Amino acid sequence: MDRVAILQIDQVTKQYQAQGQQVRALDGVSLTLDPGQFVALVGRSGCGKSTLLNLAGAMDFPTSGEVRIDTQITSNLDDAQLTALRRNKVGFIFQNFQLLPTLSVVENVELPLLLAGSPDARKSATESLAWVELSGYEHRMPHQLSGGQMQRVAIARALVHRPRLLLADEPIGNLDTTTGNLILDLLRRATSDFGTAILMATHSQDSTRVTDQTIVMRDGRIQ
Amino acid sequence: MTWLFFRLILRPLWADKARTTTTLLSIALGVAVIFAMDLAGEAAAGSFKSSMETVSGQDDIEILATGGLPVDLLAQLSQLPYPLKFSPRIEDYALLANKRTVPLIGVDIFANALELESSGEPTQPVKPTERGVFTTASVGRKGETIWLQINDQPLSYKILGIIDSGQVSGDLVLMDVEDAEAVTNRRNRVDRILVSLPAAEKVNVDTWVDTLAKHVPAGASVRPIGARKEENRKMLAAFRWNLRVLSYIALMVGAFLIYNTISVSVVRRRAEIGIVRAVGATRQLMTFAFLAEALFFGVAGGGLGLVIGRILAEGAVKLVGLTVQALYVSSTAAPVEFDLAAAALSLGSGIAVSLLAALAPALEAGQIPPTEAMARGRIDTQLQQATPRHLVYAGVLLAIGAALCQLPPIVGKPFGGYLATLALIAAASLSSASLIQFGARHIASWGGVQSLLAGRSLAGALRRSSVLVAALATAIAMMTSVGIMVGSFRETMLTWIDRQIRADFYLRPAGDAAMDRHPTIAEEVATKIEALPGVVAVDRFRAYSIRYNGLPVTLAAGDVRAQMRYGRTSLKSGDMQDAIKSMLAGEAVIISEPFSEKHRVKVGDPITIPLGTGKPTFRIAGIFLDYSSENGYIILDHSIIKRYLPADEPSNLAIYTKPDVDRAALRTQIERSYAPRRIVVFENNSLRNEAIRIFDQTFAVTYALEAVAIFVAVMGVAGAMLALIIDRRREIGLIRFLGAAKQQVRGIILFEAAFIGLFSQILGVLSGSLLSLVLIFVINKQSFGWTIEFHAPVLALLSALAFVFVATVIAGLYPAKIATTLNPIEVLHEE
Repeated sequence: MDRVAILQIDQVTKQYQAQGQQVRALDGVSLTLDPGQFVALVGRSGCGKSTLLNLAGAMDFPTSGEVRIDTQITSNLDDAQLTALRRNKVGFIFQNFQLLPTLSVVENVELPLLLAGSPDARKSATESLAWVELSGYEHRMPHQLSGGQMQRVAIARALVHRPRLLLADEPIGNLDTTTGNLILDLLRRATSDFGTAILMATHSQDSTRVTDQTIVMRDGRIQ
Repeated sequence: MTWLFFRLILRPLWADKARTTTTLLSIALGVAVIFAMDLAGEAAAGSFKSSMETVSGQDDIEILATGGLPVDLLAQLSQLPYPLKFSPRIEDYALLANKRTVPLIGVDIFANALELESSGEPTQPVKPTERGVFTTASVGRKGETIWLQINDQPLSYKILGIIDSGQVSGDLVLMDVEDAEAVTNRRNRVDRILVSLPAAEKVNVDTWVDTLAKHVPAGASVRPIGARKEENRKMLAAFRWNLRVLSYIALMVGAFLIYNTISVSVVRRRAEIGIVRAVGATRQLMTFAFLAEALFFGVAGGGLGLVIGRILAEGAVKLVGLTVQALYVSSTAAPVEFDLAAAALSLGSGIAVSLLAALAPALEAGQIPPTEAMARGRIDTQLQQATPRHLVYAGVLLAIGAALCQLPPIVGKPFGGYLATLALIAAASLSSASLIQFGARHIASWGGVQSLLAGRSLAGALRRSSVLVAALATAIAMMTSVGIMVGSFRETMLTWIDRQIRADFYLRPAGDAAMDRHPTIAEEVATKIEALPGVVAVDRFRAYSIRYNGLPVTLAAGDVRAQMRYGRTSLKSGDMQDAIKSMLAGEAVIISEPFSEKHRVKVGDPITIPLGTGKPTFRIAGIFLDYSSENGYIILDHSIIKRYLPADEPSNLAIYTKPDVDRAALRTQIERSYAPRRIVVFENNSLRNEAIRIFDQTFAVTYALEAVAIFVAVMGVAGAMLALIIDRRREIGLIRFLGAAKQQVRGIILFEAAFIGLFSQILGVLSGSLLSLVLIFVINKQSFGWTIEFHAPVLALLSALAFVFVATVIAGLYPAKIATTLNPIEVLHEE
């Protein structure tokens, strides 16, 4: 069976206008992610990791070059198509968990499915929580959880719709080493259990122990 | 301090223009309405002096009596050995060709000629040989012939001169007292005798009042010239007071918005407060800084409000004038003048309300410890819970409100009712957080993901959302309660009219109706109509404006026998048969309910009425319901009034016909019988419609005030939602990352607006219904004395509520648009 790349970034450049000056955040970046592949983007702050994740998640568009998610060129899609693409194929995890404080744990997890109008959202959310070993926490509120638990809820939410691509922006940046390792193991398990490709931005070289590939970025370029 | 105010307060306000603008506007509109109503009320009340009193010239004292004073009295007074100048005066009204009613004054032209000279256009101080009048410039030009209707007669007059506009405010027609006496059928009577004191005696007015009182008949009263204006002010006091209270609603709604704005400021700037505290600022300084923010809103919004209020006053004076004319007394609104005291009161109210509303959040700012503030440094998304304690407080306030309703009026004002209103509003406001929490849990989850997120978002920011809901609920409660009160009043009045209006035709002289104008119809008209085939009875009704206990009252004489046979007047208290018998015997009168309430008299009490030169005492035999005059009625049989007053021409005729009569043909015959006199004929149903028209016109000002309060509340919702969205931009960005389409984001915000609208409506309608009971049974009863039966105008209320709901959702459109244009990447990473 052909393994069609879930993410293809081809000669991508991204320029911003900041304080009247052109800033080149990405400069001729190319990479490919296959299903089930776990790739770490390593580099200092401001090297372009987050910009690359935003392009990979179809939240932003390159100034030049192409981004393809599951063969679809993001620049060619309208707003509705981009929304559909994100709903079905992409999941996000953030450094500071980004759970909605007004929703319970299970409501946070089922939110992407509800937004997509999927049936059986609650059942899928419960299963997803069980997968991250948080059964029994469904009706707790985010502020009642520890940092590690919050990130596991965030992972359950990111995977609830079984995305083909998971984008993780410093997922262990706010966690201690032990908890961080547990989260990394969980992500590794997602690649094998669901065939999800993961692109993870991180400061931590230690993170690379669980990844298939490590890409080092500097000044908007892959080294 | 200046630096702190600039950096911590003014700069953020400038940066958040939408919230600043809506808060400023809410205070501005609140102050504007208070100022406008005050100016308009003053203009309407102040106009009394303009029309009738400005031609008083140098006069100091007036002598008057119900039905007029005999001309002989003038001669007798002139012969007294006092250095006084007496001049006769007749006061009536004339209808101009353009249907405008203006005061008609009869004075001694010889005595007044010099005072009537207009600047640059002197009139000759000679007695006019032809039928002539003097008028103000807008009535006509000198030498022109004008048409005037006086009572029911159309007459033409030549304008002999123009009255200097500096001497009068408002229009006026002036004629010689003898001509006036003739055309108004005064029959050797004048309405007033004006007394001018020598310059040295002008400080002893009260002494001269006492001296002259000894020389006039018992029924006449002697008083200083300004007394009438004061009486009118007293008469209008309850009306103006309630109007003033109503005008404070918009500012009260604005207070919630000020509270919300200052709270948002405190929450948003916790980190800054912490830093400033850490470098040495005291708690008091922080509290003062945020009170200064409120002061800024009070002063800037209030200042703007004065400008808007001055403009609004022009429109308001027309509405207030219509009510005054319909319910109280003839008035032509005087020009609106900028009144410094009213401006200071309105501005002071705006500032006081702003500071009071800001006190709690400002004190909270002073309590923030530097460490916590710096550590948290985050926007207001922490979970807040409504506690049962608030509901207990609300319950206690409701009980206090119910107890306050039992209090009697204090100095004639229903203070217990007003305080009960405040207690009810406070109780409703305290319940808003619980309602939102309940609604978010049980209602919002039914409407899909957008509804769920909207509900949770409101419940998660209870501190803000509850204030928004409380503000809008207050406006809706006022709308509902006043709507129910007016609807109940209207329904009660219609029932009363249907019971009251039993005659088939009603006649009165043409021209606008007013409570203190009673033009007459010639007796020969009544006699002719009585003789028409098909007519079974003609009831003559004669009304006079009199003063009782220093307040205007309508004294009326009717045909008690005709009423007994054809009418259906029923008494609220007293026995009808006893009343009829004793009225025919000249022993008793019946009075209207407002008169009874206002003058604290009941069935069986004696009542002494000034009638002509006499002052007879009657027994009150009954009290009847009446909704046509707040001043009140005293009714006698016309045979009795004739004993005291010579004029017997009726002001109104009620015509009863045979059941099988051709009404159209009879109407034509009636019209022929009075031609060419100017009389209007109302058929039974058209009189009812006319009463409804006047009623609706009377309450137009109330609706206008409510509309402003609703507008302020809805505008506040828009501004506050915008602020809420800016503070929740991270969440909005997040749900975009999680797959929300722009339409869904828009939907969430509109659902939030809809929930604010819905929760406000639930709370507003519940509290408004309770408030309506306070308005109908406490405030109205104690202020005006009317018995009103409770009727909820369901359809009208539903339409108004639907309109407010739609307006609230529309208020969410702009915030929703802003929410959809937020860049998810920027907002998610900006922390």
